[in-house]
Amino acid sequence: MEEFNSGEEVVFNPDEISVSVKECIEGVIGGTDYNQSKVNQWTASIVEHSLTHLVKQGRPFKYIVNCTIMQKSGAGLHTANSCYWDTATDGSCTVRWENRTMYCVVSVFAVAVAL
Amino acid sequence: MTGGMEEFHNGSEGSFNAEEADTIVKECIENVVGGGDYSQSQVNKWTASIVERCLTQLVKQGKPYKYIVTCAVMQKTGAGLHTANSCYWDTAMDGSCTVRWENRTMYCVVSVFAVATA
Repeated sequence: MEEFNSGEEVVFNPDEISVSVKECIEGVIGGTDYNQSKVNQWTASIVEHSLTHLVKQGRPFKYIVNCTIMQKSGAGLHTANSCYWDTATDGSCTVRWENRTMYCVVSVFAVAVAL
Repeated sequence: MTGGMEEFHNGSEGSFNAEEADTIVKECIENVVGGGDYSQSQVNKWTASIVERCLTQLVKQGKPYKYIVTCAVMQKTGAGLHTANSCYWDTAMDGSCTVRWENRTMYCVVSVFAVATA
């Protein structure tokens, strides 16, 4: 945490995070088909890689990363989230990704740490 | 931050009480979808209701936390659904709890993440 740039705005940047998360997803499941025996490893990998990238940015935030993978079979899936926090400094971003056989939804929540 | 944080009890446990949150969440889910069948036209209202109710009940406890509540409702058709989450925070003070609920026609998974303030 000591590496963050002094004077830089402590505001969550969803666009940057979105790009980083998309790369993590592509890196883990890009080009693969849904596979029941591997999917647990995939979700764990995606959240772990995403979290590592976020922490590396060295910003004063706590993070929660959530990943859901669902097989494409016509079933309905709906998700919602609600947050009670400081809307000036905290934020979230959700990335939806899909290929021929599965959907992947990753949400990142960032809560500012009091300095 | 919205008001209401001034009511927290000084000296109360400094860590997240997952069991209490679990009970609160189960009641909210039952109240919103208990006894209903999966309905495409209603499910958006349900997920929104569930997260809103859970959040309201949690904030009412008046503890010094910020909260994130997520809810996923999935129709039962045999498809596979997997979720994972990872958190970078203060493990002494912060915490989470996940409730998995189902009935004959759908699954509902609600996660609560609580991050201590100051």
